[in-house]
Order: sequence, then structure tokens, then C-alpha cells
Amino acid sequence: MASDSIPNASIPMVVSNPKDFAKKRRANRSAKLKQCKLDARREQWLSHVRNKGDKEESSGCGGNQSSVVQVGKEKGRSMENWEINPSGQENDGLMNHYSDSESPSNSPTSHASSVLGGNDSGTNFTGSSGSSSSSSSSSSGGCCSGCITEEDEEGDDGCLDDWEAVADALAATDDKQEQHNPNFDSDLPSKHGNEIVAQMDSPLPESTNQSVSGTFVSMPGPECLGIVQRAPANCRAWRPDDAFRPQSLPTLSKQHSFPMNSDRHYGGGGNPWGCKSVISAPSSCPICYEDLDITDSSFVPCSCGFRLCLFCHKRILEQDGRCPGCRKQYECDPVEGEASLDGGSLTFKLARSCSMIARYVILMQREIKLVLL
Amino acid sequence: MVDFARVQKELQECNRDIEVSGISVNPKSDNLTQLIGTIPGPLGTPYEGGTFTIDIVLPDGYPFEPPRMQFATKVWHPNISSQSGAICLDILKDQWSPALTLKTALLSIQALLSAPEPDDPQDAVVAQQYLRDYQTFVGTARYWTETFAKTSSLGAEEKVQKLVEMGFPESLVRSTLEVVGGDENMALEKLCSG
Repeated sequence: MASDSIPNASIPMVVSNPKDFAKKRRANRSAKLKQCKLDARREQWLSHVRNKGDKEESSGCGGNQSSVVQVGKEKGRSMENWEINPSGQENDGLMNHYSDSESPSNSPTSHASSVLGGNDSGTNFTGSSGSSSSSSSSSSGGCCSGCITEEDEEGDDGCLDDWEAVADALAATDDKQEQHNPNFDSDLPSKHGNEIVAQMDSPLPESTNQSVSGTFVSMPGPECLGIVQRAPANCRAWRPDDAFRPQSLPTLSKQHSFPMNSDRHYGGGGNPWGCKSVISAPSSCPICYEDLDITDSSFVPCSCGFRLCLFCHKRILEQDGRCPGCRKQYECDPVEGEASLDGGSLTFKLARSCSMIARYVILMQREIKLVLL
Repeated sequence: MVDFARVQKELQECNRDIEVSGISVNPKSDNLTQLIGTIPGPLGTPYEGGTFTIDIVLPDGYPFEPPRMQFATKVWHPNISSQSGAICLDILKDQWSPALTLKTALLSIQALLSAPEPDDPQDAVVAQQYLRDYQTFVGTARYWTETFAKTSSLGAEEKVQKLVEMGFPESLVRSTLEVVGGDENMALEKLCSG
């Protein structure tokens, strides 16, 4: 009896645990999906509202702005979900995205910041994300009086259910912002690029701004400036097929896809890197066809510019370590280091080439026999 | 372990523009490690008008290891064994890259058909003939194409008739035959498996 009851009791325990785990994961995924859908619907609303924006009258801006802030907040949170950003207490505005691209796992960008330190004579342009984010939030606070402080106080529980109300609010604020920026669609990118640089690093002299601003063409200038609450959304939302993407923005995929442009990125700091990789990188790994996440898409292991996901890269390093794009040996050291450390892989390679030679000799012998016959 | 997700997507992508490339890849059995590719003989060569089937076996390491490809149709070509159908092509050996796909590999084989490399032969007899007596080579290659690579078009109607008599709807029979490159047995297998 006892021996019967024990397995009966223990088995459901064992079974239930992975079930619960799977449930959790499913719930997590569905939450993400929901978030994604919400974002998509919000984008639709935005473009819709933008189209008929001129007709509507602005009314009750002050009252509505808090809900708009919630949009910003919501967006910031969703971005954290997507990009798995562990930080993001204070800097969930504009810099949230940038701090992602500056995360220590991204060797290119961290390298970039060190290079930049040399170039820009000590200004902390991309230095610490904390300071730059605070400066950006303060500057945006100037743009939209008091919204940011509200946002900070509100905390994370702003959940959006009523999209129509939000859309109305957005329409109202859009109109208001467009009054602020009458030259909204004209020659904004470069101009606002400059202004953003100025905002983020005000002690920088104007001439330096000019030199740096070239790399900021990829920044969504007008939106970041005009409607600060929506900035985190727009930092990523300028897809080439975007409805309200200004005509004057260049197509970046062509402009930035060559490795010879890379020193420009280093000069400009890590920020454009993030934007650029989102726009011009392939969306899926060409080896395993899985989607590239944000870390993968900023990962360029070879000078030929061939991108792949970290898993496939590791797998290749375990084997012959050649870039799938150009067939050259990867320059980054892991393979070389192994060879010099134990010499095992070296001898392995030798053995392999020997066996290939042997096979070739056998082949040739066969062919000769054939000829003789 | 073969990356089946990738293989699935490759098959989808390859068969999507089958009208343009003429290249198709289809699974031989239920598991995706054995496939059959078909390529049309390139125009302006002795292989023109033929449809060549290629047996594909995916090794465990695919796509990090090259797929094993071998002609199932007999071909007279310096770089393809006239006995076994083995292909001498660098990208199927040491020059393979995981960025290549089954389709690009088949395209390379098609290119090899139109540009033989007699200096690096797989079949020495054919290579000798190619170098010493090019006209005879062309004649033989064309004859082999007519004999072995065109059977599908010759008795197509008979095959359709035969399969329809077995109780399959005609339209399905025709489309299936097209998919498998005219191979009657493969079409039957496919029809039976649903």
C-alpha cells in the first residue's frame, strides 16, 4: 500500500513542475505578443491621426498629456521587453535605446566609445549613459514643460486599454507640436540631427556638432525633438516603408552597409550604430534563418560585413572558423588562441589535410587505372 | 543534427521561384535528410532540353557541412562521373560555406554543366575526350542527354494515363509529375503519401 501511494504522489509532482514552467513561458510569450500587437495598433493610430491631423482642433492639451506620457512610458517598457534591458529606471526616454547599444556585450560599440573619447577631446558624448540620459531628459523637459517629471513619478503601472482615448490625445498633442515646429517636413533631418547632438552634449562647440552630425542622419530628428514622449518609439520606428518618414531622409541601408563606413560610426559614437543596425541589417540569420535579436544585429564578426547570429558564429568557430561570407579565417582570436595554446587543433587540421591528400592520391590512381584500361 | 527548420525554409524558398530558375528540391522521404533536386540543362550546351535529377543527402552537420550531391541522371561531363554520378565541385567539398543553400549549390552544378573544367576532372575518360576531340564529346553528351535526361517529356502522357488509371485525379497527377520532374515512381510515392 505504502509503496503504491508513494509513486502516485511523487509522479504528479514531477509532472506538474515542467507544466507550470511551460505555462509561465507561454504566458510570458503571450504577454509579449500582446505588447507587440498593442504597438502595431498604436502605430496604425498614429499614422491615421497624422493623416487627418490638420483638421482636428487642439483641445485640452494639459489634461491629455498625462495619457500621452503613458504612451511613452508604455513604449519604453515594451522596448525593455524586446531588448531585454535589465536597466532602465531613469533612462527610459530617448536614451533607453542607446544604452542598449552601449551594453558591454557589444564589443564594437564599447570600442567605439573609447575611440570617440580620443576624437572628441574628452567630452563624454557616449561615455556614461546615466549622465547623457539625464541631460536628454532635462532638455526634453524644456521642450514639454513638466511632462517628464510626471512620467518619473508615475511608475510602471500605467496600462493602456482605451486606445481611442489615447489616439484622441495624440491627435491633440500632434497638432500642438506641429505648431511648435512649423517646418516639420521640410529639411529636418540634418538640422534636427544637430539639435539633438546639442541637446545631448551641450558643452560641445557648434563646429564639432557639425562634424559629428553627419552620422546622425539616421536619427529620427523631428519626432525625437517635437514629441518627446514618443521618442523611444520613433527611434526604432523609421522603417523605410514608414508612412510618415520624411522624404528627405536618406536610405540608410545603402549608405551604411559597407565596411568602409565603419570608421564613421566609430567617430560618431555608439548611438547611430543602434539605429543603423536595426534598419540595414538582415532581419534573420542567413545560416539558421532564425530572427536576429538586438545583440546579434550589432554583431559584425568579419571585416567583410557578413552578419550572423552568435550561435552560428560559435558553431563555426568550433569547426573551421571561416567566415561564411568571404571564406576567410575569422580574425578574432578564439581559433588562433586555441591553436597556440594546445596545438591540438593544429595537428587536427594537419591530419585532415593529410587525409585529403591521401584521398586525392587514391582518386588519381583510380583515374590513371581507368585511363590505362 | 540537421537544422530542419532551415531545410524547410530552403525548400519553400526554392520552390517558390521554380518557374524562374527551373530548379526544384523535394524531399525523397518523410525525413528531410534525403532530397531530390532537379535542374534543367543549361541552354546552348549539349545538355539543353534535359532535366537532370540529383540525389541530395544532408549530413548531420548541415548547413555547417556541405550537402552530399550526386547525379541520379547519367551525364557525360568531365567533372561528373559517368559511372556513379559523383560531382567534382569545390563548393561541395572544401569551399562549402554555410551561407550557401541547396538552391545555390544546384545553381553551381548547373553552371558547371555549362562550363566544364577538364583540367580538374572527375571522369578522366570524358575529360580526355573533351580535350582531344571536342566534337565527339559534344555528340556523346547530347546523346546521353537525349537518352537519359529526356525520358520525362517523352512518355509524359502515358505516365499521366497510367496514374489516372490507378485512381488519382488527373490534375493532381499532372502537378505531382511536374513537381518530381517526371519520375513516375516518385510521383506514385508522393500521391500515395498524400
